[in-house]
Amino acid sequence: MNIEHNIERERMTFWERIYLPEIARGLGLTFRRMLRPKMTRQYPEERWEPLGSYRGRPVLVEEDSVERCVACGLCARVCPALAIEVQASETELDKERFPIKFEINMLRCIYCGFCEEVCPEEAIVMSKDYELVFTSPEAGIMDKAKLLVPIAQLQDRLEFVRRYR
Amino acid sequence: MPHIYIDGRKIETQNGKTIIEAAIENGITIPHFCWHPELSVSGNCRMCLVEVGLPKRLPDGNFEKDSDGNLSISYIPKLQIACATVISDGMHVKLDSAKTIKAQEAVMEFLLINHPLDCPICDEAGQCKLQEYAFNHSRGESRFVETKNKKPKRTPWGPNVMFDAERCISCSRCIRFAKEIAKQDVLSFVQRCDKVTIRVSNGKRFDNPYSMNVIDICPVGALTSSDFRFKSRVWDMSFNDSICAACSRGCNTKIGVRNNEILRIEPKTNMHVNKYWMCDYGRLSMLPKLNTGRVLNPRIKQNGQTEDATWDEAIAYAAQILKKYKPSEIMFIGSGKSSNENNYTLAKFAKSALKSGNIDYYKRIDESFKDDLLRTNDLNANALGCTELGVAPANSAFAIENLATNIKSKSIKAIYIIDEDFDLNKELVDEILKAESIIIHSANHNIITENADVVFASSTFAESEGTFINVAKRVQYFAPALVTKENLHRMGMKLSRLDKFGAHNDRWTQKELRNSRPAWRVISQLAAQMSYNFGFIKAEDVFKEIANLFVSFKSMNYKLLEKHQGITLGKGDSPDPVIRNYESYYMKPN
Amino acid sequence: MNNLIWILIEALIKAVVILNVILLGAATSVYLERKISAVIQDRIGPNRVGPFGVLQPFADVFKLFFKEDIVPKASDKFFHSLAPIISLGVAVAVYAVIPFAHYVEIGGTKYYIGIAPNLNIGLLFILAMTSVGVYGITLAGWSSNNKYSLMGGLRSAAQMISYELSMGLSLIGIILISGSFSLNDIVIGQANWKWNVFLQPLGFLIFLVSAFAETNRAPFDLPEAEPELVGGYNTEYSGMKFGMFFLAEYANMATSSAFITLLYFGGWQLPFSPDLLGLAEGSIGLAVAQFLVFFIKVVFFIMFFIWVRWSIPRFRYDQLMRLGWKVLLPLSLLNVVLTAAAILIFK
Repeated sequence: MNIEHNIERERMTFWERIYLPEIARGLGLTFRRMLRPKMTRQYPEERWEPLGSYRGRPVLVEEDSVERCVACGLCARVCPALAIEVQASETELDKERFPIKFEINMLRCIYCGFCEEVCPEEAIVMSKDYELVFTSPEAGIMDKAKLLVPIAQLQDRLEFVRRYR
Repeated sequence: MPHIYIDGRKIETQNGKTIIEAAIENGITIPHFCWHPELSVSGNCRMCLVEVGLPKRLPDGNFEKDSDGNLSISYIPKLQIACATVISDGMHVKLDSAKTIKAQEAVMEFLLINHPLDCPICDEAGQCKLQEYAFNHSRGESRFVETKNKKPKRTPWGPNVMFDAERCISCSRCIRFAKEIAKQDVLSFVQRCDKVTIRVSNGKRFDNPYSMNVIDICPVGALTSSDFRFKSRVWDMSFNDSICAACSRGCNTKIGVRNNEILRIEPKTNMHVNKYWMCDYGRLSMLPKLNTGRVLNPRIKQNGQTEDATWDEAIAYAAQILKKYKPSEIMFIGSGKSSNENNYTLAKFAKSALKSGNIDYYKRIDESFKDDLLRTNDLNANALGCTELGVAPANSAFAIENLATNIKSKSIKAIYIIDEDFDLNKELVDEILKAESIIIHSANHNIITENADVVFASSTFAESEGTFINVAKRVQYFAPALVTKENLHRMGMKLSRLDKFGAHNDRWTQKELRNSRPAWRVISQLAAQMSYNFGFIKAEDVFKEIANLFVSFKSMNYKLLEKHQGITLGKGDSPDPVIRNYESYYMKPN
Repeated sequence: MNNLIWILIEALIKAVVILNVILLGAATSVYLERKISAVIQDRIGPNRVGPFGVLQPFADVFKLFFKEDIVPKASDKFFHSLAPIISLGVAVAVYAVIPFAHYVEIGGTKYYIGIAPNLNIGLLFILAMTSVGVYGITLAGWSSNNKYSLMGGLRSAAQMISYELSMGLSLIGIILISGSFSLNDIVIGQANWKWNVFLQPLGFLIFLVSAFAETNRAPFDLPEAEPELVGGYNTEYSGMKFGMFFLAEYANMATSSAFITLLYFGGWQLPFSPDLLGLAEGSIGLAVAQFLVFFIKVVFFIMFFIWVRWSIPRFRYDQLMRLGWKVLLPLSLLNVVLTAAAILIFK
């Protein structure tokens, strides 16, 4: 194959083609890098507080000690991983309908945030919770008791959702 | 034949039809809320406003033409409602003109002014005409900044129907249905303007046998089912076509299933049988039996205890029992609630294999159930099928009426029953239990299954495919809607999204599937055990044999039955033409 | 007869000690690799196992020990097991001829530090052993019965053949200068800063590049190039068999560093006269000092190896071959001619 254009000779100067000075330059770069301050965080001791835009574990908003959710099922429908299962039932409250069962399978959840985006009631939001460890597949299925979070703890995210929706 | 032009497309039609009818017959849907093909025209929703015009005529009687030689049309300056405007020859209708579209958008905007944003909690969401039109024929935003009207949200009209006044768009379909179809004229508009609402007459309840049809025809979610309320979203369910087994009318139905549980049964349009309707009894009465108290596995009685067994064990045990008796000592009981396939296989087993003529089925005639619209006096869905396929005693001494005496006199020692519970008629059941051996195919646990020697877990009409013959001799096909271990891998079965994509480790797939089989399969396996080979592998094989043997079934097959929505006996070669059915909603989940 | 037994016992003790030193060295290399790569990438690196994470390599090896050993069904079981043994065995065997210090004199007997540092063909032995090392990799690739492994093995063999030549030729310069194949003689010849690196700069460069290629280290780690070959020759290895390849790679790196030190950087020679420390020739103190000097030099080169790996991207295969055949081989021939001419003229 005879390549006539954009060959090495055209692209590089003589010193670059010798290669050794460039290697030295590269080594110099990494050496300087070694002396820079490190950005590692000592995780279990030092924790990171995410911003409002962080998409952690999806949770249900609890307002006046009752969930906002009306079990419309849109989150379950839009969920690309089929992580959400909702069963609606009737309530005497004004909202008429509430989820008698609301389960998110955290083994399936991919943290895409579609459920939050589609929710007409701002009832499901992505929390800042990123520490999700469980020891059995069953423990990964979170029910309403685990999902309900008081609205006061979710102000950052609700504000973010409202601003960028 | 007069013809009209809709958006330039020429349509042949008949005199006296309205524009909307002519359009729908030709597959063009003009947006509408209040019009329904079976109800009178009220013309109060104004959604079907269209531009209508006729060609100009010159004084000499000829049509005026423009410079290009086309007809010049003079459109009526005000829009006309397509549901009430009768066609005339050469009429031009514009559906896509700016004027029509503007009118539709204006109507939608007015309707949405007081319609609450209830979709998240509304059962109609997903199959709502207003939702569809808000999507297709609306501006997409509201200019209404004032507060919406508040009206009562949960008013029960009757035992089965719940009314939400806020959602009502005052189309009057339910009022006209009550008056014209159900003949219970208890609904009417009260108040005026935006306060208008519908009320049941004082001291009355909307409780006629067909009340739940208003839920289906309501174009919005104002009328919901008290039974189904909030059980599931429409898009989470699968809808498989079936036939109602409550009476011999054989109304076409759609079975709504989620998570392998029947949540609702709704009518499917069949202009030859039930049109758009179905009775409340058919919708509700079968649900508990289909969903609960099911026999999950075949069972056999050993040492006085009935216990779960495998199919092979149960079939071998049944064969062993049957061999103990002379064929004339065995009584075979078919079922008017079971399919042609099951009854035919039983008859074949009894008559050609065992050479016993002792076969009959339990009759259910109830004159009080009958009415003028759909309900018939025969509560057996397939009584005609039983008689047609030879489920009848060779000697009338062995008819089912004489069963009790025959058991007493020991001329009948063993009973073989398919899909029959005798309505748990105490006198008859007590006698039956006195028989030496009982083999029963049953879907539900009851007193007979507790005492039977062999219980075969039976698939109901909701879990198997087959045919019924209705009171008008129409053979109708039904497909399975529920999954059992047997039909797990059946092709073409509609499944909801969760059921379709659930993995084996998902919570909603953990429920154990029923290990039930349709009677025809079990009987042919039993026959094979007793060395009679029927060669039935699928229900279609049984029906093929029926179609070959019986003249009245000639040329019928499942595909044809499905296509023509049923074929009358003896008319296999000339079935009724396929009709384009009117569907209220076109965005169906599946 | 009696004498022979004593020599054998002496060799055995030395061997056990040195084997441990090598494995410790390999562990240290692993630790250094993880630490240095981390600092280059603005990270901290292992810091949980032991102080500053120094026990990390042991944790790694223990993990490998307890992992399931999976042998592919279609593989050649015998060679599949033999390959890692060859790799590690050869990497360790090379140390037989490497002198860690000069000698200690106890009771009039000279004990040389090293198993056989005075072997008169030490240099040839090393060249031979490193060439055998490639068998391990090639066999591993072939016996796995996996196309990626096979390609890794073939690349390794091709690379070995291409670079062995220049490596050998570059050493001729040193042999011409010192006039001996014995490593101890070569080191002794470099006393008083007469390091070969100053006499043989071109030879050193060629040797350095070839050493990288011989040890399959970046930028010449084509036999296990992850983006193209999954894991290269060790795709089908797991558990401690993988661990042996892993250790062999680091042992090889340590060998090459030791080799460079011995041949070009004065080996165990102190950078100043031993008289400054006031230690007599043959005393234990001097031997320890020499060993420390040697050790520091080796560690420096190990770090250099690692530093290069985390700085320079991998060569493309054709680039590798072109460099070997069209650049290094002519240069090494030139080096031989120049050295010979210089020796003719100046001696």
